[in-house]
Amino acid sequence: MNRIWLVLAAVLLVGCGVQPSGVTDGGEAPTGLAPGVTLYFVDADEQLTPEPRPSQRLGTIEDALSLLMSGTSNSPLHTEIRASSVPRVNVTRSPGLIQLDVPLSIYEVTPLGIDQIVCTALAVHVQSGGPRDTRVQVRFTLPTAESAKLRTCPLIKAS
Amino acid sequence: MIRRFGLRTRLLVVFALVTALGATAAAWSSAGTASIALVDSTQRRLTETTVNQITAHTPELIYPPDQAALDRLRAAVGGDTAVVYKNLRSADGTDVGLITDALRDAVRARNRLVAQRITANDKPWLLTGTPIMITALDGARTPSGIEVYSVHDLSGVEQQISDLTRSAAVTSALALPLAAILALVAAGSVLRPVRKLRDTARRLAAGDLDARSQPQGADELAELTVTINEMAESVQTSMAAMQRMQADARRFAADVSHELRTPLSTLTAVMEVLEGAADRMDADAKESAQLAITETGRLVQLVEDLMEVSRFDAGTAHLRVEQVDVAGAVRDCLRARGWLDRVDLVAPDAITVPLDRRRLDVIVANLVGNALRHGRPPVRVRLSASAEQVRITVSDHGPGLPEHVLPHVFDRFYKADAARTRTPGSGLGLAIALENARLHGGDLMAGNVAGGARFVLLLPRDLEETS
Amino acid sequence: MAAILLIEDDPLVRRGLQLALARHGHDVRTAETGEDGLREFHSATPDLVVLDLMLPGIDGIEVCRRIRQAGTAPVVMLTARGDDFDIVGGLAAGADDYVVKPVQPTVLDARIRAVLRRGNGVTDGVRAHRDLRIDTVALTVTLHGEQVMLTPTELRLLLTLSRAPGRVFSRQQLLEEVWEHDYLGDSRLVDNCVQRLRAKIEASPASPEYVQTVRGFGYRFGPV
Repeated sequence: MNRIWLVLAAVLLVGCGVQPSGVTDGGEAPTGLAPGVTLYFVDADEQLTPEPRPSQRLGTIEDALSLLMSGTSNSPLHTEIRASSVPRVNVTRSPGLIQLDVPLSIYEVTPLGIDQIVCTALAVHVQSGGPRDTRVQVRFTLPTAESAKLRTCPLIKAS
Repeated sequence: MIRRFGLRTRLLVVFALVTALGATAAAWSSAGTASIALVDSTQRRLTETTVNQITAHTPELIYPPDQAALDRLRAAVGGDTAVVYKNLRSADGTDVGLITDALRDAVRARNRLVAQRITANDKPWLLTGTPIMITALDGARTPSGIEVYSVHDLSGVEQQISDLTRSAAVTSALALPLAAILALVAAGSVLRPVRKLRDTARRLAAGDLDARSQPQGADELAELTVTINEMAESVQTSMAAMQRMQADARRFAADVSHELRTPLSTLTAVMEVLEGAADRMDADAKESAQLAITETGRLVQLVEDLMEVSRFDAGTAHLRVEQVDVAGAVRDCLRARGWLDRVDLVAPDAITVPLDRRRLDVIVANLVGNALRHGRPPVRVRLSASAEQVRITVSDHGPGLPEHVLPHVFDRFYKADAARTRTPGSGLGLAIALENARLHGGDLMAGNVAGGARFVLLLPRDLEETS
Repeated sequence: MAAILLIEDDPLVRRGLQLALARHGHDVRTAETGEDGLREFHSATPDLVVLDLMLPGIDGIEVCRRIRQAGTAPVVMLTARGDDFDIVGGLAAGADDYVVKPVQPTVLDARIRAVLRRGNGVTDGVRAHRDLRIDTVALTVTLHGEQVMLTPTELRLLLTLSRAPGRVFSRQQLLEEVWEHDYLGDSRLVDNCVQRLRAKIEASPASPEYVQTVRGFGYRFGPV
């Protein structure tokens, strides 16, 4: 008989509106905060090198790529991307993939220059909370097989 | 305590209770599940919104932030929100005071978004708190020191839940009459065969051995019914066998008595001749002749009593009713046997009752004969009459009837003690007297009063006259 | 003293009763069957017949009926006691009295003598009632001048009743006076004899003129 009353009490309690709770986990905290953005250039030994720019904020991938295409500020590093009159990049984000439409043809950039673009975009993506194994597709203005490749940054490993 | 009521009531109550309980439990638990899901989804939606709003704003957020940056962030999140960075603080709305220390501690300890439900000012609230993290290029996350706290009013959710609860209550209430109807139907289907069984058992107990009930279905009740039928069958069979044996035994007794009558007729006829010749015999032969005569007389009496008993057993004993002056009949009975001067007869005149004169004579002769033989004088016969019955009391002043004899005094051939086996009489006298009293619709009772045995004969006055 | 015909099938009972009745001074002839009995009855014309009802061949009741048709000789039945069927049948067939077996010869002798006793000492001459004449000396009864054949019992019943016209006799009184029975006599004897008597002297036995019923008490002699 007692068991019946217990069940009855439990049933009645469930229906009594919103119950207070203790502190519960609500998931990952937001991120995306940074003292500045990181751009990638090439040093004298033809090595890809990060260069932090203390801009007080992380900014977007578009912002970072615009800065990258505007060239270096320090002399020891150089860029292998030809300067463009319209340094404007279209960014399309989908899960696991970032597509970049750059105002360049394949002839205006070296393979290292493509790495510069991929690494800079991926660095912003990772710092704003995105996963590190995201692939980057760089699409050029003139048709080329390079536009179809899904790339990764050699300096930002997947794990 | 429920056992005090009938099976029907108990079934009804239990069935209704269980059904109502089930319906209530189902309604309430579904309402409960729904409300939990509602709270959960609301909570998830609110936290996701907060995270999305923060995430959308962080890339543009100056770090380390100044007061203006905090204000902008707070505005972007919206609602009752507080944004804290070291000594800087940006807050809006009065309800941010509800943020608990537990929540703050959890935010700093876990570096994850946390939530807590509280009740304050009679309203439910959802508190969320989260740090904003800095992610390094290698994926490592460190707290930035900026924390965002939000307070959300859950009154709307509570309103929805109470609506759900109300509809659950209504459902339960609707289930109750339905449960009662179902219980009635179920109780009926269970109790109908039970009642039939009860009626059958009653008829069996009342002696109607032909009573049976038809088993229905293949449940336990049907099995019980079959068992009861079988029981009735076997009782009936053994009763029939017993009755047949009893009837055989009675017929045998009647046949034996009847067959004895013919040789006894011869014996009786020649005994007188023998008696007349006895005077001329020598002493031994004379005594022998006397013994033969006496014993023949006893044998005749015994056979006649047996025949009489057989007629009672066979149901062929009939009353020959006529209007009889009871006092006169009793007096005639005593006079015919020469007992008038040994018996004290107290009888009012003119009690005329329809009865069988011969059978009354048999009863009175037996009772008075016993009193004279076993009791001590004075033997008293007292007659009295009421509107319904006549009462004839025969009492003596002897030792009375022993206590152990009383229940058997009307048994056939019952001898109170072995020493009495040679007393005259067949041993059937009182049994026949009782049967005769009952044939009249009356009764005969034996008992003791102070100083002697007392037999009371009761005869009804309203017997139908047949002749 | 009297010539008696005893019809009884059992040879030992027959012989025993013959011996006993002979000691009471009767001249006893015997017969084994109803047929023998009737033959003997016609050839020997006994004063009285003692008849066992249980007979092989034609039964006692039929024998009794034929004897009654043949004349006025009284019949005393021998019966097994309580066999009411026999008693009722025998009385209806015209038996004057009955005794129950086993019977003591003294008792049987008393019945025989009672049945045979006539007149009962009442010899006051002739009683005339309308068409009925009863001669108490000659012991004859005539109706419309014709003689009516009555058995001794019927005659004695008529004599007893007509001795005091209008007086009511209870069955008990009649049993004691006519049959000389004790107080336990069978009142059916009276009723049956009354019926036989009415059949012989009444114009309409259903509404009797001479032997009238007084309900609940008995009978009386009319007309009054």
